[in-house]
Amino acid sequence: MERTGADIRFHDVSVTYPNGFTGLKGINLSIPAGEMVGIVGLSGAGKSTLVRTINGLVPITSGHITVGDHQLGGHGAAQLRGRELRELRSNVGMVFQSFNLAKRTTVINNVLMGRLYHSPAWRTLLGAWRNDDVELAMSALERVEIVSKAYEKASSLSGGQQQRVAIARTLAQRPMVILADEPVASLDPPTSHVVMRDLQRINAELGITVVVNLHFLDLARRYSDRLIGLRCGEVVFDGAGADADESVFENIYGRSLTAEDVLSSRGSL
Amino acid sequence: MTGAAVVLLVGITIWAGIGVQVDLPAIAANWRNATANIIQLLQPDYGFFPKTIPALLETLQMAVIATAVGSVVSLPLAFLASRATNPKPGLLTGVRFAMNMIRSVPDILYAAILVAVVGVGALSGIMALVLFNIGIIVKLVSESLDGEDLGAQEAALATGGSWPKANRAAMLPQILPSFASQVLFTFELNIRASTVIGLVGAGGLGILIDNVRSFFRYHELSLIILEILVLVLVLESASSWLRKKLV
Repeated sequence: MERTGADIRFHDVSVTYPNGFTGLKGINLSIPAGEMVGIVGLSGAGKSTLVRTINGLVPITSGHITVGDHQLGGHGAAQLRGRELRELRSNVGMVFQSFNLAKRTTVINNVLMGRLYHSPAWRTLLGAWRNDDVELAMSALERVEIVSKAYEKASSLSGGQQQRVAIARTLAQRPMVILADEPVASLDPPTSHVVMRDLQRINAELGITVVVNLHFLDLARRYSDRLIGLRCGEVVFDGAGADADESVFENIYGRSLTAEDVLSSRGSL
Repeated sequence: MTGAAVVLLVGITIWAGIGVQVDLPAIAANWRNATANIIQLLQPDYGFFPKTIPALLETLQMAVIATAVGSVVSLPLAFLASRATNPKPGLLTGVRFAMNMIRSVPDILYAAILVAVVGVGALSGIMALVLFNIGIIVKLVSESLDGEDLGAQEAALATGGSWPKANRAAMLPQILPSFASQVLFTFELNIRASTVIGLVGAGGLGILIDNVRSFFRYHELSLIILEILVLVLVLESASSWLRKKLV
């Protein structure tokens, strides 16, 4: 499963929604390959928007983004379309807050979704996956230690297990980048740590660039190399987690910290 | 608000009744004319049963083939007819318009036209039923799709899958149980419909019904009705058993 990560660069990227609201304002960022980055900020600060521009789920209004050899936007904000967009997306895995699994089918079928781009249409239509693809899916499930559940219905799994299946789905893509949009917001504290540890391990062992959008500051500081703080669509902090002290966080949040911003304050049994 | 709605509904119903010239006193005065026929209908001629078997089998065969062909054709059309699975507005409108047109023609009219084109018998019946099925299944399945959670589809598109692949991987498993349920329901409807389209010659029990009715052989007609009732009851329990297994 050897694949190196891709670097991600934002060049003066802005996103304005059709209703006129500006999600991102002139973002410039350079994320080298293999880094694990945590994005923090208030709801509505642009965290989710930032993460979703990287695989084109949110179109950018101006500027451009390079992800490895791919480019989004640029030349008068011409958007990547069709096959090129799908090729970019096949190299970028995404983990969602609500897991986004196909609940009524098996775990292995969900992981095999990671091979959709690489499989011919007739194979996906009939569900006749190649043996190599099934092997890949199985080893992805092994890596997140949930291979025994391969043929169970996805809905029978717990939240934490479903999220690990979602991570396996991204691994099946053999991606250069993994994006995670609030991956632990629906999980309890111990499970949140398990999932974040999985992402950290994947970043360390496989060299995949990981960009995680997080609500809880302590998780962000503990599991990422680098922290980016967003406020009102702009970058207000960019550095190591250790350098982020109380005043920095107050700048990001525009208020002093409360217990809601920290996971460990949710208590444990 | 509710009071106004009730008054409106009652008003519309009365207006409709007047327009259609519903004549309740006439029914009260004349129902005795049907007594003789009703009494005959309550006494089925069981001896007639062997003669109904070929027609019964033909109706069943027509229903099976029409359901099979109709559901296979309808499934991809349903995906094209749903906003959730078809990202192209022009194509969506076109397919929906075509489906609305197909659905607005009554099955018996399809049967009459097809009998004139293809001839009397089961083939025209099957073709009419297939068109009838497409109208129903596409509507039910596309409305199912419209109401589905799109999270898995978003994930499938994010892996680089094209729309058809994403729909196949993420949306099809979600609606498969309700699709199966709707196919079984359509099969039941086909049994009933095939008796009606037989009136214009499109095969099955319908032709037999028309024959015995026109010769005023109500005892035999009664048996046929009883057979249909039994068939529907058997299908009903088989399909609820199957539907429970599928969820």
